[in-house]
Amino acid sequence: MREEISIWFFGGVLFLIYGVIICLEGLWELSHPLVNPPVLNHLHAPIWWGAMMGVAGLTYTVKFWPKKSRH
Amino acid sequence: MQLQPFVALSTYFATPVHSLAHLNAVDIAVIAIYFGVVIFIGFYLKGSANTSEEFFMAGREMTAWIAGLSFVSANLGSLELMGWAGSAYQYGILATHWYWIGAIPAMLFLGIIMMPFYYISKVNSVPGYLHLRYGDGARALSAVSFAFMTVLMSGINMYSMALVMKVVLGWNLNFSIWVSSITVALYVGLGGLRSAIYNEVLQFLLIWLGALLVPILGLIDAGGWTNLKAQIGARLGSEYVHMWSTTGHFSQNPMGIHWTGLVFGLALVISCGYWTTDFLVVQRVLAAKNLRSAKMAPIIGAAFKMAVPFIVILPGLIALVVLPYHLVGETQAVATGQHSYNEVLPLMLVRYCGPGLLGLGVTALIAGFMSGMAGNVSAFSTVWTYDIYGAFLNKKATDQHYVAMGRWCTFIGVLISVGTAYLVQHAASIMDYVQGLFSFFIAPLFGTVILGMLWKRTTKAGGFWGLLAGTCTAIGLFLWVHFDPSALRYVALSPDAKTLAEDMYRALWSWLVCVIVTVTVSYATKPKPLSELEGLVYGVVPLPVEQDDHWYQKPIVWAGTIAVLFVILNIIFW
Repeated sequence: MREEISIWFFGGVLFLIYGVIICLEGLWELSHPLVNPPVLNHLHAPIWWGAMMGVAGLTYTVKFWPKKSRH
Repeated sequence: MQLQPFVALSTYFATPVHSLAHLNAVDIAVIAIYFGVVIFIGFYLKGSANTSEEFFMAGREMTAWIAGLSFVSANLGSLELMGWAGSAYQYGILATHWYWIGAIPAMLFLGIIMMPFYYISKVNSVPGYLHLRYGDGARALSAVSFAFMTVLMSGINMYSMALVMKVVLGWNLNFSIWVSSITVALYVGLGGLRSAIYNEVLQFLLIWLGALLVPILGLIDAGGWTNLKAQIGARLGSEYVHMWSTTGHFSQNPMGIHWTGLVFGLALVISCGYWTTDFLVVQRVLAAKNLRSAKMAPIIGAAFKMAVPFIVILPGLIALVVLPYHLVGETQAVATGQHSYNEVLPLMLVRYCGPGLLGLGVTALIAGFMSGMAGNVSAFSTVWTYDIYGAFLNKKATDQHYVAMGRWCTFIGVLISVGTAYLVQHAASIMDYVQGLFSFFIAPLFGTVILGMLWKRTTKAGGFWGLLAGTCTAIGLFLWVHFDPSALRYVALSPDAKTLAEDMYRALWSWLVCVIVTVTVSYATKPKPLSELEGLVYGVVPLPVEQDDHWYQKPIVWAGTIAVLFVILNIIFW
């Protein structure tokens, strides 16, 4: 018996972690504005980009959760 | 938002002096997580790389999607990302030719026409196919030139990434080179091709994720595509936003190219040569689990390749309008301290991405570099072990011995690449150099392989002498123009031609010489009996029939769809 981990699971986990980190960073910036903000900072890209990544990551993490298989 | 444990690492990564951007703790965390995951994958897959079939060919178990994404990702190195974004800034939308006509037809040709021969002959490498078709001479010539080119490419990739990281982020050059290299050596050395492929798929997703925001925000910044085109046209001329309409004469476009060079030199020879005979990319498709997956993988890759200009070319075009300063060539940048064309993508990242997103964008660039380097190193290791060491130096070793040799080769290949990176520090123009290298080896090799696959009469002597003559022609033409620049009017058909155009015509002439010599020598020598050509040449035995349940599952249907889309895109941006 061996845990088989799909590459899509790895991708899902990575996206989920990145999504959470980046979205939280964007939310933090709402109350703590950056000293040198990037161009178009008012669009709050980290929030929606991070949220989209998080949702995509969560979907793939759940869908490709490792299952036990017999070899 | 601060993550204290990463602050110390952050100060080590970036030196504040002369850097354009400063990564904060969140950015460092994003990068560190990426490194952690790729190394974990290497250790996780170590147990699946015990035999040579597993280590070098990933057990031939990859699905069409994984093989296809890996196929296109292995090509998407740092040069491909940063170099072509720089070329878009320098030459405009003409740079897209290297992604469309310079890739799509060749990828579809590989999937539909050539893949059956590679796959059913069960070869482990492209030199391995040459061995079956032409014998040891052509195999040795091809394997040695490929091994040389691969580590050279890997070193150039490595140096270009480290240089940009130094200029934009202030990272130490040696630090970038060694940390990335050791990581690649670790995960490829441990998990073999399977680990390289898994990471390439992950890296492909990350490249898109990290780079996609730049064109989206850039288009908003520039006021949309129509506004962007109008501004570029007003500032630089309409030739920067048209792909074909200005290629009627060398002097009418900023790249100094002619449509004949694009169609015959780039699409027919360089592109077909690279996408169908360069083992770096072909190895990924050979790892597919069955013939249908092997045929679908390049077609899936072509679909994604067609979309890559959105994250590479478009940022370069947007930079022409939105950046408040002008970028210059590498030589001038070094002399004056200005930013070079090759830095356009990181500069655009810095412009639009704050903490977190900047880390993601930098991770995308590192992922691009790593996928390119892992591709080079795993292909080098396979060709060395199967086609040089196993074929000529130690023919009777055990399977375990070859796996051990493959692991060692991975580390040695990385070390040679690092050495090469330090050697190429003084290369004036990185991209031009690479294009030149392609035409030396890839163009004649394509002539040899395609004649071997499609023409029964091609002989062993014809293949060897054709390949040698074509390679010598490419090197000879390069040296001729190098020592006598006026020879450009003969080699590239016009004194107005520029470097990229010269590369296209040099490739075309070397391919023609290869084909002519191969045909001539083949007619003068005795052909192989048909029984020895089974599974290697078109028309000798029928190819396996695909059992698809529905018409829409057939690879030819998808190849046709991609081809139609390709034509439509070229007409839209004509």
